[in-house]
Amino acid sequence: MMMQFLYALPMAIVVLGAIALMLLSNSRITLHRLNFIAVGFLLLSLIVQFFIFGETQSAYLFENIFGTAFILDDFASIFDAMFTIGAILTLLINNDYFKSRRYFAGEYFSLILFSVFGMMVLSHAHELVTGFIGLEIASLNIYALVAYHKIRKVSSEAMMKYVVLGSMTGAFYMLGTALIYGAVGSTSFTEIANYITSNDLQNISVLIVGASFIMVTVLFKIGAVPFHSWVLDVYHGAPYPITMFMASTFKIAIFALTLRLYLVMFSPINSFWSEILQVVTIMTLLGGSWLAINQTLVKRMLASSSIVHTGYLLIAISSIGLGSELAAPAVMFYLMAYFLSAVGSFGILSFIATKKKKQMTYDDFKGFAQRRPYMAIMMSIFMLSLAGFPSTIGFLGKFYIFTAAIESGQILLAGLGILTAFISVYYYFKLIAMMYFYESDETQNRFPVGISTVLIVIITLIVIWGGIGTSLIPYVPGADGFMDFASNAISSLK
Amino acid sequence: MLDHILSIIIFLPLFTSVVFGIFQVDVKVLKIGAFLSAAVTLILVAWLTFLFDPHATGMQFVEHAPWIKNSGISYYLGVDFLSLTVLLLITLLMPPLYLYMKHEERKGYWYNMMLLQTGVTGAVLSLDLVLFYLFWETMLLPIFIMIGKYGNGMHQYNAMKIVLMTILGSMSMLFSILYIGYMHFETVGTWSFALYDLTDIVFNAETSIFLAAGFLLAFVIKIPLVGFHTWMAPAYGSAPTPAVVIMSSIMAKLGIYGIWRFGFGLFEETLIYYMPIIAVLALVGLLYYAIRAITEDNLRKMFAYSSGSHLSLIALGLILTNIYGWSGSLYLIATHALASAGMFIMIGLVYKRFKTVHISELGGIASRAPKFTFFFAFFALSIAGLPGTGGFVAELLIIIGAFERNFWIGLFTATTMLAAMVYVFWMLQRTLFGPDNSTCQFTDLNTRELVMLLPLVIMLILTGIAPSLFTPMFEPQLSVFLESALHALGGVK
Repeated sequence: MMMQFLYALPMAIVVLGAIALMLLSNSRITLHRLNFIAVGFLLLSLIVQFFIFGETQSAYLFENIFGTAFILDDFASIFDAMFTIGAILTLLINNDYFKSRRYFAGEYFSLILFSVFGMMVLSHAHELVTGFIGLEIASLNIYALVAYHKIRKVSSEAMMKYVVLGSMTGAFYMLGTALIYGAVGSTSFTEIANYITSNDLQNISVLIVGASFIMVTVLFKIGAVPFHSWVLDVYHGAPYPITMFMASTFKIAIFALTLRLYLVMFSPINSFWSEILQVVTIMTLLGGSWLAINQTLVKRMLASSSIVHTGYLLIAISSIGLGSELAAPAVMFYLMAYFLSAVGSFGILSFIATKKKKQMTYDDFKGFAQRRPYMAIMMSIFMLSLAGFPSTIGFLGKFYIFTAAIESGQILLAGLGILTAFISVYYYFKLIAMMYFYESDETQNRFPVGISTVLIVIITLIVIWGGIGTSLIPYVPGADGFMDFASNAISSLK
Repeated sequence: MLDHILSIIIFLPLFTSVVFGIFQVDVKVLKIGAFLSAAVTLILVAWLTFLFDPHATGMQFVEHAPWIKNSGISYYLGVDFLSLTVLLLITLLMPPLYLYMKHEERKGYWYNMMLLQTGVTGAVLSLDLVLFYLFWETMLLPIFIMIGKYGNGMHQYNAMKIVLMTILGSMSMLFSILYIGYMHFETVGTWSFALYDLTDIVFNAETSIFLAAGFLLAFVIKIPLVGFHTWMAPAYGSAPTPAVVIMSSIMAKLGIYGIWRFGFGLFEETLIYYMPIIAVLALVGLLYYAIRAITEDNLRKMFAYSSGSHLSLIALGLILTNIYGWSGSLYLIATHALASAGMFIMIGLVYKRFKTVHISELGGIASRAPKFTFFFAFFALSIAGLPGTGGFVAELLIIIGAFERNFWIGLFTATTMLAAMVYVFWMLQRTLFGPDNSTCQFTDLNTRELVMLLPLVIMLILTGIAPSLFTPMFEPQLSVFLESALHALGGVK
């Protein structure tokens, strides 16, 4: 029982931290301090996670109370670590941004921690209703965060779009769960999987319909075309820290659920969705690229390019269904690679926004390399990584995804992926071109040393190290070590 | 030291630039550092050439270490006659280029040149497909920045154009690389991207044709053969001189190198299927580029087209697959690199003096600057294949090879070579002689400029009058390689 408490501790710390911050938010403590209190709770949770990691292959949490609702395994632990690190980076990188905007208040940090808690529930969920609860806890907080700048019309509009569409797809999820419960008599992943294996494909059509409804929710949340209409406006309307949080961390959470659903619950029949997923993937890749080419605001470009990255991930997801061994770890690796590059690039955008209160267009970046040479180099590295240029971690991510696609026989899809990677070179290189090819009237600024900039430097180094340093330097684990990590985690699923 | 000599040669310039970049050194120190790094690599390469055994088969000075273990990607370097030739060219050209850039005060220029050297050297020496892809892509970045930032004319647009077109090629190559790696996994059971592991895989004909297309597209765009050349003239036209020199002397040759190393290495049998296409493109290119060069008024663009025409000739010699064609191609790779480097440097000097590279605005240089006139004419004529320079030997060999393969191909090649004479002589007449249009003071070459041009001239004359000095270096390995290629092609004569 004692050990069970220990296993639940990371989640408990986060939720306690959220409540504590909520109580503290009306006190006289400054935002700066509140931010560090929030980071402190997250760090504490991360440390506990570190000790728990690898303790158990997989165990149910408080089985006598919750039954099989919560599971603890390496898979969930890796994702927990990613959420916590993502939240920590979001909070620290935007430290100056919070101070520069007067609308930020104490409860902001509480909302972030609550949503991290929701994501953790999501990654530990081993049962459909628990998954829904986790998803909704995370989403509701994000809805609030998107509209955090209350008087800004764009933000409120984005929030309304997101809430209405999100709740509707939430209803789809519930409908799917109800149908599955009707067929199986249980919502536990294991029992659903057993039910599927013990029945013929012809006899489980109700379950398949239900599962397809759940897929709709998942596709909506990750922003796949044709469920993408909210992405651009919401990413645009949200303040930079929230956009960063959504693009990196929240997306990872949805993929944690997707992977578990796909690898555990639907594993006997996951090839059933392959064709649908392939169609969705093609639309996502092409639609996302089309949107990204046409943007003038850099934030919107990054938002639309995140749709394209969803497309790459979907290639790997449909490869899982076609029996690729590599695909599931490839998804996790790609999520990490995308997470690093996205956090870095949004971090730089929010750094610029701290000084200059306007939305940056491509043209505003003219002469940026002259004004801020180091920032420009780092931004270029993130752009290269997002474009999948070799010698960055983004290349390895794409490498694994495309080899997985070829392994599973989806050669045309891999070819299309490479084609969209080529298109993405255009809109990412355009930003590099803007930064370097134009002169600026302003003189060079000194490099501002602070928490946010130092963290961005570290992320840049990780991005480069992930691309070239792998196993060449003795005693330092390479980024490919994460692949082995991920494969172990995948094999811990049940 | 000797175990890692290739790594040192590749990474010394990169290392220098990163260290200097972090410490934000003064531009004077940067210049000295860049020149020293180029000089040290030149000495190392000279040493390497001295130790190189021309009679040994296979790769020498091999470095092999696992890189990305779970996908079998390795850090695999090695050198043979082919890579040694290009390696020598790169290291020979860098010091003169740095001398040319002596008065360049913009730091980014120097950083980019050092990065560029690492990129091209790495591409030549790597024997692992993913490693090769890494260098192949990264050498594009400095070119992108140099054209876009320091270029002239519509430089931003042209920089984007060259990047998009070459990346289209490399993406198709990436696809083929991934597929081949997977084929190895499927047949052998382990992942590997090392060239000599992959040569053993037997493809079925259709897959092989489709995979070879991926590689060839990348190389053909880089060369560029006619039809894939739309980036060439604008990019050469707006790039600053050092970048043009590297593009025409080294990067274009890397396309040929790629066909040679990876085309013949991985797809010997399949290449037969593409040979007629490449041969036709090369022959059309010979004529087309020559005509474009005749009608061109911009000197840079004229020699861009001239460069395209010579690279078509090299590609033709390669596709002929006989001993004359191959040795001619290898020889022309070297001599054309030297001659076009010299020529583009001369054009750069013209621009520095007159602020124009348009033939119609030039004239009468000969009467005022005799030394300048000599070097200008020498490089131009050696590009056209003046007897006594290396270009003549190489072109002769290729033409003989063409005649041996087919009388008509030979005849066509020989005739179009005359076109090169036309544009070179006509250009010389209009720029060097002709009426004196300019009013500015035209200074002759100074000592620094003489020092940077003389090595190129000496090398060109040496290769021209004494080819026997150089042939023992590559002949044994070349003929072994050729025999194996011919064997695979089924004894095609």
